[in-house]
Amino acid sequence: MDTVLELKGATKDFRGVYAIRDIDLKLGRGEVHAILGENGAGKSTLMKSLAGVHQLSAGEIYLDGRPVTFSSPSDALKQGIAMVFQETNLVGSMTVAQNIYLGEEKFLNRLRGLNIRAQTYLLSMNFDVEPTALVSSLGAAQRQMVEVARATHHDAKVIIFDEPTATLTPEEKHHFFGLVKRLKEKGASILFITHALEEALTHSDRLTVLRDGQKVAEGAVSDFTRDTVIQAMVGRGLSDELYGARKGVELPIRTSRSKILSVDNLSMGKVVRNSSFSIYDGQVTGMFGLIGSGRTETMKIVCGALKRNVFHGGEVRLNGKPVRYRVPRPAMRDGIVYVTEDRKLDGFFETMSIRDNIMVGKLAAGSNPASVVSMSQAQDLAEEWTKALDIRAINPSSKVIELSGGNQQKVVIAKSLVQKPRLVVFDEPTRGVDVGSIVEIHTLINKLADEGIAVVLISSYLPEILSLSDRILVARQGQIVEEMSAAEATEQSIMYAAVH
Amino acid sequence: MSVQAGEQARGSQRKGVSLRFSQEGIVFLLTMLMFVGFSILLPNFLTSGNVIALMRSVSVLGMLALGMSLVVIGRGVDLTMVSTLVVGVVWAVKMANDGMPFGQALFYGGLLVAGFGMVVGLIVAFAEIPPIFTTLAMAPVIFGIGNPFLFKQDTHNAPQGVTWLNELGFGASFGIPNTILVFAAVALVMHLILRYTRFGRSIYAMGDNPAAARLSGLPVRPITVAQYMMTALVAYLVGIVILGSNSGINSRLAYTTLVYDVLLVVVLGGIGLSGGRGGVRNVIVGTLFVGTLLSGMTILNLSLTAQNFIKSLVMLLALIADTVANPRDEQTSQQGDI
Repeated sequence: MDTVLELKGATKDFRGVYAIRDIDLKLGRGEVHAILGENGAGKSTLMKSLAGVHQLSAGEIYLDGRPVTFSSPSDALKQGIAMVFQETNLVGSMTVAQNIYLGEEKFLNRLRGLNIRAQTYLLSMNFDVEPTALVSSLGAAQRQMVEVARATHHDAKVIIFDEPTATLTPEEKHHFFGLVKRLKEKGASILFITHALEEALTHSDRLTVLRDGQKVAEGAVSDFTRDTVIQAMVGRGLSDELYGARKGVELPIRTSRSKILSVDNLSMGKVVRNSSFSIYDGQVTGMFGLIGSGRTETMKIVCGALKRNVFHGGEVRLNGKPVRYRVPRPAMRDGIVYVTEDRKLDGFFETMSIRDNIMVGKLAAGSNPASVVSMSQAQDLAEEWTKALDIRAINPSSKVIELSGGNQQKVVIAKSLVQKPRLVVFDEPTRGVDVGSIVEIHTLINKLADEGIAVVLISSYLPEILSLSDRILVARQGQIVEEMSAAEATEQSIMYAAVH
Repeated sequence: MSVQAGEQARGSQRKGVSLRFSQEGIVFLLTMLMFVGFSILLPNFLTSGNVIALMRSVSVLGMLALGMSLVVIGRGVDLTMVSTLVVGVVWAVKMANDGMPFGQALFYGGLLVAGFGMVVGLIVAFAEIPPIFTTLAMAPVIFGIGNPFLFKQDTHNAPQGVTWLNELGFGASFGIPNTILVFAAVALVMHLILRYTRFGRSIYAMGDNPAAARLSGLPVRPITVAQYMMTALVAYLVGIVILGSNSGINSRLAYTTLVYDVLLVVVLGGIGLSGGRGGVRNVIVGTLFVGTLLSGMTILNLSLTAQNFIKSLVMLLALIADTVANPRDEQTSQQGDI
């Protein structure tokens, strides 16, 4: 095999946290190579290290047999590695031609010359895009063509795509793989990250599976089947003790008591499509899905943080009564709270103390704006909850920003629980949380369900879903596609439902 | 991952806290220095007449700044304050001079002013236009509603025979001018509102993190509207004080740089424009600083342009200090995620 790009012992850590570790990778000339793995497996980090966005902490990159280093994405581009990112970086108000040559403008530019150059290049790639069209007028697939043209117009040897098909319609996907084929015919090598197994199996020559930052499988596509890939993606040994499988032994599966929420044909744009499911009180409903499955958006609609479509948006019933929330406040007053997946972004208040953060939950639950806030009540509340959730801080007046991730998460949870919810949605409750706090948060989730509260647990981490849930919902492409009891679910069966 | 993002944010936060703390302290120290300096260098500065005049002008500025701080803490800004004040008070005075009982006229003026505040608040809250643009555009709109439609003259004398208005402007209780007492009362009330009411605490939460406030179930939009209405009403109260102490009001006040002086007070005092920070104490410190500066420059007989030049420079420095001390770090906080 004529190797274009080789990676030896690639390792990248972010301040001691390893994102990828000791990865070897070979990419042949004219090869299409798929990179697969769960959320957080290190796929994006690996690709970004190849494209110069990140610099490897250890390991070497060889391009055409020569060792190379990339100081920046533009440096990588100069040496022949182009990356097309997940979110497009095009300027909507400029034309296609202007976008392709963005950043390479001379002091004086003649639009005509630019258009002719762009036209020639686009035609050579067989791209059906008008160079004078404004990018804002293009569809997703055409934007992607522009993005590709921009990345490749100076003869990239290697082109990296980060989830190229996530936002495309089936027809656009078809176009995309046609494009991949043309690039291949021109001698370029392609690396692409994907969650869609079928795509990887049909359109690539070889594939690599990553798990927890390490390479677990690599080989020609013909050596793999859907099942063996899934096996490789989820098989795990590292953290089995932490997430002891719950089945049967210590925690019997809680049977449902009564239906608290039913959702029918929920839709929001292209993200949530005709999703239907129910939530019962007194149990933990796990919700699993890969990126683009719409699981967070689905629950955010239920909690009023997002709005569903006005027409054909579907129906949400709380205890049988139809509800439609425009903002989170009425949902909160009906007892539905959402514990965010990104606590820094919309979870806690960084200038405030633990006490004031928890108090905001209480403030929001009340109605009279002129009513007086009792400082002693706030103090009592803070002490009660720091004790209940074991929030470790010097005292309740400590600033939240000074706490560890686990303690910050507990503050956010306390802020929601003071509102006495009947339905709590935990979105990635243990992301960026230390091991000790993970156990405590899990205990808390179980306790809430035992108290009769309906708990929804959104997680990308299968062991977490399996060890906590009584019932598991699997989301795929904006829909809940599978419902299973925890007794029968396995990592394989969940992943099988989640990939497409 | 988020751990290190937290680390970064924590670093900048610590810096922010110490700088902000010292900003308030530094400004206070500078005020003292300036006061002592002016007292020694300018023979007229420490005369009782001047000190009282200083305190009086400071009161007006300080009360406006208290109103302004209410929106700035909630991550907003209100440049309509002076226009609102002028239109509300001039209209009330005109109605009173046309024969309406003064109390009734003031009541209608208050309603009008609350309406202005509500419109501004609704635009900010529901159309989600940044407050700076909303209020920049609304200020001439409000004044325009006043000038051709509600009144046409510039100067209006205070209605005759309203003793409490005279008392408010010129009287004194316990040896302290009433104007200053009103300032103190407004400061106290504002302090209580900000610190101890649900409304006040919600403003801090909103200013700190609007997304989290919304997700926690705070009524973000109603609070926003209420904020601008309250600010407008504070401005109206200040207008009445001005009417009392000048025995009249000139609508040309709306053309002055008063609103920028108010902003200067708020920012200098250490209430970050990024929201969620500061309180009444900061306003008072800022007021003393700007008041002393203005008074000194007036006695030095600096031209208006020179005064504006110095004020603008100070304002610019304060804004730079504010961005350094209270960075809006939404972007940096998300870097480094895997």
